[in-house]
Parts: sequence; C-alpha cells; structure tokens
Amino acid sequence: MVKVDDLTVRYDGRIAISKISVTFDDGKFHFVMGPNGGGKTTLVRAIVGFLPYEGKIEIDGVEHSKYLKKNSIGYLAQRGFQFFSFPMTAIEVVEMGRYRFKENISERRRSAMRFLKALEMDEFWNKRIDEMSGGQQQRVLMARALATESKILVLDEPLTGIDSKAQSLFYDMIERIKEKFQLTVIMTTHDVGFVSKYADDVLYINKEIVPHDKAEKVLSDAEIELLYGPKMEIADRHLTKNENV
Amino acid sequence: MFEFFSLFFIQRALIIGLIIAFVSGLMGPFLVYRKMAFMGVGISHGTFAGIGLGILIGISPIYSGMAFAIGLGIFIGFVSKIGKISEDVSIGVLFSFAMALGIFLINSAPGYHTDIMGYLFGDILAISNGDIYLAMITLVLTILWFTLRSRQMKYITFDEDFSKVVGVPVTIDYYIFMVLISLITVAIVNFVGVILASSIMIAPAAASRLIAKKFPTMIILAVTFGMISVFLGITFSYGFNISSGPSVVFFITAIFAMAFALSKIIVHHHAA
Repeated sequence: MVKVDDLTVRYDGRIAISKISVTFDDGKFHFVMGPNGGGKTTLVRAIVGFLPYEGKIEIDGVEHSKYLKKNSIGYLAQRGFQFFSFPMTAIEVVEMGRYRFKENISERRRSAMRFLKALEMDEFWNKRIDEMSGGQQQRVLMARALATESKILVLDEPLTGIDSKAQSLFYDMIERIKEKFQLTVIMTTHDVGFVSKYADDVLYINKEIVPHDKAEKVLSDAEIELLYGPKMEIADRHLTKNENV
Repeated sequence: MFEFFSLFFIQRALIIGLIIAFVSGLMGPFLVYRKMAFMGVGISHGTFAGIGLGILIGISPIYSGMAFAIGLGIFIGFVSKIGKISEDVSIGVLFSFAMALGIFLINSAPGYHTDIMGYLFGDILAISNGDIYLAMITLVLTILWFTLRSRQMKYITFDEDFSKVVGVPVTIDYYIFMVLISLITVAIVNFVGVILASSIMIAPAAASRLIAKKFPTMIILAVTFGMISVFLGITFSYGFNISSGPSVVFFITAIFAMAFALSKIIVHHHAA
C-alpha cells in the first residue's frame, strides 16, 4: 500500500501540487488523471523518489526514504521511448532492473531472460532496443520494470504517441501482468477512453483537487468539464467527446 | 626500417601514446554517447591555465595543469547539474577564459618561454618521466573504473531516471567519470598538446560509432583505431620530420573519414 499524506511539491519555489492525501491500495489498477500541468507526473515522480517534497509518503508501512534505500519501484516513463541513442540490447536493458540484486553475470542474465520471457520478448533478447518497434520497446521496458521485483508499478503517461489498437493491447498486457505478479499499478494518463474498462480506482488531480473513488462515480460530467474543459460524457463504458460540443 | 624504435624518445612517445589511445578508447564512446565530446576541448584548455600557473610560480606544469583540469572537470559537471545548463554551454563559456588566463599567467612570468608551442601542440622530445608515470597511473585507474563502474555509466547514459530508481549512485558516478576524463585529458595534453588533445579522445570513438552495432564492439574498435593512429602517426612523423602530435591527429581523422565513408556504403547497401 502506498500512503501519501499532505504532500506538497515545489519547483523553484512554485507549488506544483499542494496538500495531496491519497492511498493507493494493494493489487489495484489506479488511474491518475487530470489536465496538463495539474501535477499527475509530479505526484508519481515524488512517489518513485525523484523529487523532494513536504509531507509524508509511506510504502507498506515503511517511511518512504527508508523504503527506497533497500527497494526499487517498477517505473516506466513515456519519455523513455525517445532517447534510445545508446546501443543496448533487450537483455542488457532488462538487466538494469536487477541492479540491486547480488547476482553474478550469468545469474543476472538468467533472471533478465525470465522477465523477457514473461513479456514474450525472449526471442529478441540480443536485439538492440533502438531497432525495435514502439510496442516491442514498451514490452522490454515493462520487463525491466518487473525485473526489479517491485510489487508497485508506476507508469507515467506510457501511452503517449501510441495508436488506439496498441493502447488496447497495452492495457490487456497490464491486466495480465498485474494478476500474474500481483501488482499495484499507478498510471498517469490523459486518456479517458479506457478508464471505465480497466481502472479499479481513479484519482483526479489538478494541483489539489482530489476526488478519489470508482471511475463511474468520479467521472461525472461536471468534473470532466472542470478538468478537461470541453464537455465530455460517459457512453458505452468509454468516455467519448460529446458530438454536440 | 624500424630501427628508429630503438631511440629512447621514440620509445617513450610510443609508451605514452599507446596508453592514452587505449584509455581514450575505453572512455571516448561514453563521451560521444553522453554528447560530451566538447568536454575534452574544455578540460584540455583548462589545463593550459594550470600550465601557465605552474610556469608563473615555478612548479611542475604537470601538477598545476592536473589540478586545473580536475577542478574544471568537477566545476563543469557541477554547473551543468545545478545550473540547468548543458555541459557544452558551460564549457563554451569556460574554455576561452581558461586559455586567456593561461596566456596571461605565462606573460606575467619572468623570462621568455620557448616551450609554449610544446604545450599547445605537443613535443615528444619533451616527454618526461613524470608524464610517463601519469599515463601509467591513468591506465591503472581507467582499467579499474572500466571493470568496476562502466556498467553503471552505461545504465546512466541509457536512462538516468531508471538508474536512480534501481539505486545507481548517479551523482557520484558522474563526478568519478568527470575526474577520470580530466586525468586522461592531462595525459593526452602531455603527448599532443592542449589544442589537439580532444581529437585523440573523441575521433576514434566517433569513428567506431559509425560502423559498430554493439557497444562492446565500439569500445574494441575505438581502442584499435586510436592505437593504430598513434603507431602510424609517430612512424610518419619521424620519417617526414614533422611534429608527432599533428601527425597522429592526421591518421585519426583519416580513419574517421574512412569510417564515415564505410558507414554510408553500409547504409546504401542495406537500402538497395
């Protein structure tokens, strides 16, 4: 369980998010949504350990900084797809996730291969990641996040620039690995199309607004309009733009 | 034909040249991928300010040059990390200042200094025991670093954020890297001078990047290209009675040009 209490993060003195309190329960798929600049990424980057903050974060009852000294959080960022200029193979990328484990070279390789296999990427183990398709890269990075053996998986806008078919496959993959590895998944996204189908829990964040409940309840017309501007409505379990707007 | 290799100064030049080609081949590819190619230029010019200070106060320019180079390496790293400006910008600001300071300090020193050209473009006749020892220390430290910390630098270069997530001490590794680059640069300056130093660090790595597909291959090629250039450069310089620094740089640049042409042929071949 990830418990965030009274969290404030500042960039250069300016408040990015203010007094956020939220609990991410174990084994659920949590969507973190909100407008650009609302603080979604700031919240998850604070949880992963990138940002200094005021307030308190606890993971499984352990104080945040103590937890991070001994544990990693599975992390996948959208921007990860953009800077593969360094020539690493799939297996080398996944081996990064094993950094904290005391393994020799062959043990590390075997462990990494296990996670590549879980994502059905083992046949590409020696292929350079920058020579892979977007979907393949995403699966290798997911294998890397899983290789940390963290029970918490943080995904920061992983679907930016991915077409809707690939998005659907991505969500199916997350569902599958969430069950298989018994993960708590925290994902920031702009995408409202898949919320009803996949989210166990939705958090809206606009610097400090945090309604936090089941998707259907949270995604009222008024709140969507407040957060996204144009009027949206829930139709057929998916959010779609109202054609009259 | 190769009887000149029995000459003492040629042997010293070969020892120091092959060592710096080897360590540059191990480190250069990281500089190229981290887009820090300009780093060698900045630090070598920083060395010149240290050399100037050494001449002014009458201590060995190696030590004062080394102190300036390491200080500048750490400072460039610090400014880039804290000041949110890129290494290239901070180097661009600092390196001409360091040259100006070096010239100012040398001009302030009493007497006339004929060895300035040697510091600027290298002089294999001036290679001292101290230069050889420094190169050997650099060799040992670089091999140690490569064995113990190059995996971490690979991770940081590929994805700094995720490296932090899994507990790589990113900042410590960054500064260790900068200090080592500074030391290597000083060793190179002793061989080819301030102006030509960055070529030895960067060009073999840049050439290998053009044709190698995997990182280990790139390292092997960078080391090979550098060592071949040093060997041929020194041989050529003796045969044609020209300075060895520029001669080595000619060969390195020729290898880069060939690698560039080869990379174009490979691309064309794949496209066809």
